[in-house]
Amino acid sequence: MRELPSLGRKTLGGVVVLALVGGVLSGFVDKNALSSTLRLSVPIAFAALGGIFAEKSGVINIGLEGHLIISAFVGIYATNLTGNVWIGFAAGVLASTLFAVVFAIVCLEFRADQIIAGLAVWLVALGLAPFLSTVIYESVNAGSAGFDPITIPGLSEIPVLGALFDAKPPVYLMLLAVVGSWYVLNYTAFGRWVHASGENPQALDTAGVSVKRVRYASVLLSGVLAGIGGASLSLSLGEFSGNGQTMVDGRGFIAIVVYLLGNYNPIGTFLSTTLFAGLQTAQIQLQSGYLPSSLVQTIPYITVIIVLAGVGRTRTPDAAGDHYESGEE
Amino acid sequence: MTPAISLDGITKRFPGVLANDDVDLTVERGTVHALLGENGAGKTTLMNVLYGLYEPTSGRIVVDGTERSFEKPQDAIDAGIGMIHQHFMLVDSMTVAENVTLGTEPRKWGGLAIDRDQARQDVVDLCERFGLAVDPETRISELSVGVQQRTEILKTLYRGTDVLILDEPTAVLTPQEIEELLSVFELLTDQGKTIIFITHKLGEAMQAADEITVLRDGRNVGTVDAEATTREELAELMVGREVLLEVETSSYDPGAVTLSVDDLTVTNEQGIDVVSDVSFTVRRGEVFGIAGVDGNGQSELIEAITGLRRPQAGVIELGDREITDDDRRERIDQGMAHIPADRHERGVVMDFDLVENGLLGSQHAEAFVNNGRIDWKRTREHTETIIEEYDVQPPNPDASASALSGGNQQKFIVGRELARDPQLVVATHPTRGVDIGSTEFIHERLLELRAAGVGVLLVSSKLEEVRGISDRLGVMYEGEFVDTVDPEAVTEEELGLLMAGEQPAQEVSADERE
Repeated sequence: MRELPSLGRKTLGGVVVLALVGGVLSGFVDKNALSSTLRLSVPIAFAALGGIFAEKSGVINIGLEGHLIISAFVGIYATNLTGNVWIGFAAGVLASTLFAVVFAIVCLEFRADQIIAGLAVWLVALGLAPFLSTVIYESVNAGSAGFDPITIPGLSEIPVLGALFDAKPPVYLMLLAVVGSWYVLNYTAFGRWVHASGENPQALDTAGVSVKRVRYASVLLSGVLAGIGGASLSLSLGEFSGNGQTMVDGRGFIAIVVYLLGNYNPIGTFLSTTLFAGLQTAQIQLQSGYLPSSLVQTIPYITVIIVLAGVGRTRTPDAAGDHYESGEE
Repeated sequence: MTPAISLDGITKRFPGVLANDDVDLTVERGTVHALLGENGAGKTTLMNVLYGLYEPTSGRIVVDGTERSFEKPQDAIDAGIGMIHQHFMLVDSMTVAENVTLGTEPRKWGGLAIDRDQARQDVVDLCERFGLAVDPETRISELSVGVQQRTEILKTLYRGTDVLILDEPTAVLTPQEIEELLSVFELLTDQGKTIIFITHKLGEAMQAADEITVLRDGRNVGTVDAEATTREELAELMVGREVLLEVETSSYDPGAVTLSVDDLTVTNEQGIDVVSDVSFTVRRGEVFGIAGVDGNGQSELIEAITGLRRPQAGVIELGDREITDDDRRERIDQGMAHIPADRHERGVVMDFDLVENGLLGSQHAEAFVNNGRIDWKRTREHTETIIEEYDVQPPNPDASASALSGGNQQKFIVGRELARDPQLVVATHPTRGVDIGSTEFIHERLLELRAAGVGVLLVSSKLEEVRGISDRLGVMYEGEFVDTVDPEAVTEEELGLLMAGEQPAQEVSADERE
């Protein structure tokens, strides 16, 4: 029998339980709730997948939030410039990838502290996106055309699960990316190198694979994935809002929690994402009830803390956060 | 026949250090060649040059008759040279097959997926061909060190290595595993592979190698035939002077009990018992040795005795006073000296100079206090005495500890601890990473204390050491004393079995009948 690679049975069990809890809480009773859960999952799931690749390769990318912010804004701006949502989308991804390039160079060539460089990415994006918006649109908020939903005839009529076939393109992309990332990490040589690069870079180096190249590739991939998440966030709504924490509002940090909860496994991470997104959905519905809304808004965060405490510690890759230079003792 | 490897006048200079000085080395195909020398003799540097990790300052590398220059390990690998480092280059969370094929994974579906079945089959074939027993599906973290090492060997063989370099391969193995490794050497050379291994152990070099090259101070001081040489000859080549290999011990005449440990149980950070119900005594004027493979509870036992870890249960007495709940300082005051296992962690402060290091552990002692302040003049004198008596190089009390070689740091620590006028010395791995000359010196000091009526508790993973200077020898396995034996009567094989947790069959039955 072939066991599911790198998804321990315990973790799998835990995550399934969590997803069920999330499902119940979000009221998996109607199509709208599932639809909303999936939509809210998109930016978190993409950022988390990106975080998995970076951290598994040994580079902790704590700046996912920044990648989401910059791609969300550039997506809107480029859509307005070109009039084409998909070109805008691609531009958003490109912007996030450029941030990742800078982050990778600073960390891998100049051996900067990954946490500090990651925070810098976040802070730069947090300042830059609303600033550009103000310069271009004379407001921190901007609007543009957005994605139209794609409805698959027939399948979308299924009760509840029909939500999977009646959604905007990012939702479909997300499902593909989750499965694709899982496949790449577990079945391809690149996935194995990413794993080795984060656990014991010297082993990979002596095996004749350049650790630096694997880490560059992984960090860029994290930029691409987080960029897809950010551009999806703004272009699904057709607007960017840059007030306060911007519309991204901590999703990039939630993504880190989520992939830790999912133990660096894309499938587990996706299930944890739906838990969080499900809670968010439930929270929105509860706001119309008796409880004060500001209290209700904290429900997802409090639940995540409780769940994290219950699940216990995730083992981070041995070499995560460490610099590695070939030929050094 | 063309030699497999021929190094010609290799010189490697680091800033301020001449690590290899015009070294010639010829290794014949299909032989085992030992590279013998003390720490810092330049053995590993020379092999790193051959493996492409360092570029030589000057000199030629000839592999199989062709001159080569290696800029990176990959060039050496391409030339059929593989190296197994002291620290294994394995990913613990991957399986044997995944580690062996890492970087050169067999692919399928046009490269889109790893062909796992092929990878497993390749490893099985390789194992069969070279007679190595390793299960390809086991994760590295579940394997013993010996099998991990075999995985490393498979890894290099998988890449088509003809010349295998092993850096101190036996340092981490039990005697049985060493035997197995040496038989693996035979299997490999039978198949035409060439093996170079680095060691500072004379016995091993003589046992395993066909030829032995001795390095001293970065120079090749002689290549000898392993069959024809003697231990004495090799030791003299290594050190440059005659060395007493057999330690002379004076007659065994133990006095009163100085340390008594009764039913001691110690847990580790995870709350698991790592020392269970251990009892023993150390008497004045004797060396009580504890042998065992590292990680069988020795370090926790010693930490409990020295007051660095609180035991779960049991009683420890020093002299006639119970010290179970005493802290470090009280134990030092009671006359317990401790040579710690990890000198960087617990022996010296690397950034401190020797005067400051000489004070460590005595900062409360009245001798070093003047009106509530440290008496630095007195401390300096004390340090100078240690440096002189223990021949610490460089003899400069203002040098920081980090400027000293490992052997000299160790001599300094031993000097400081023994200067406490102790009734008990707890010495853990007192000669780890120390060259033969200093080892000899440290052993002599410990035996002098024994002759002066001090009790010595000695923990070491070096069998030669614990057998050589102990009067009684306890063997630890998984937190328990398997047996306490007479080190002179016990054979290395019996000791090896005890260290692996097995009672030699006859002795058990003899004990049981009584």
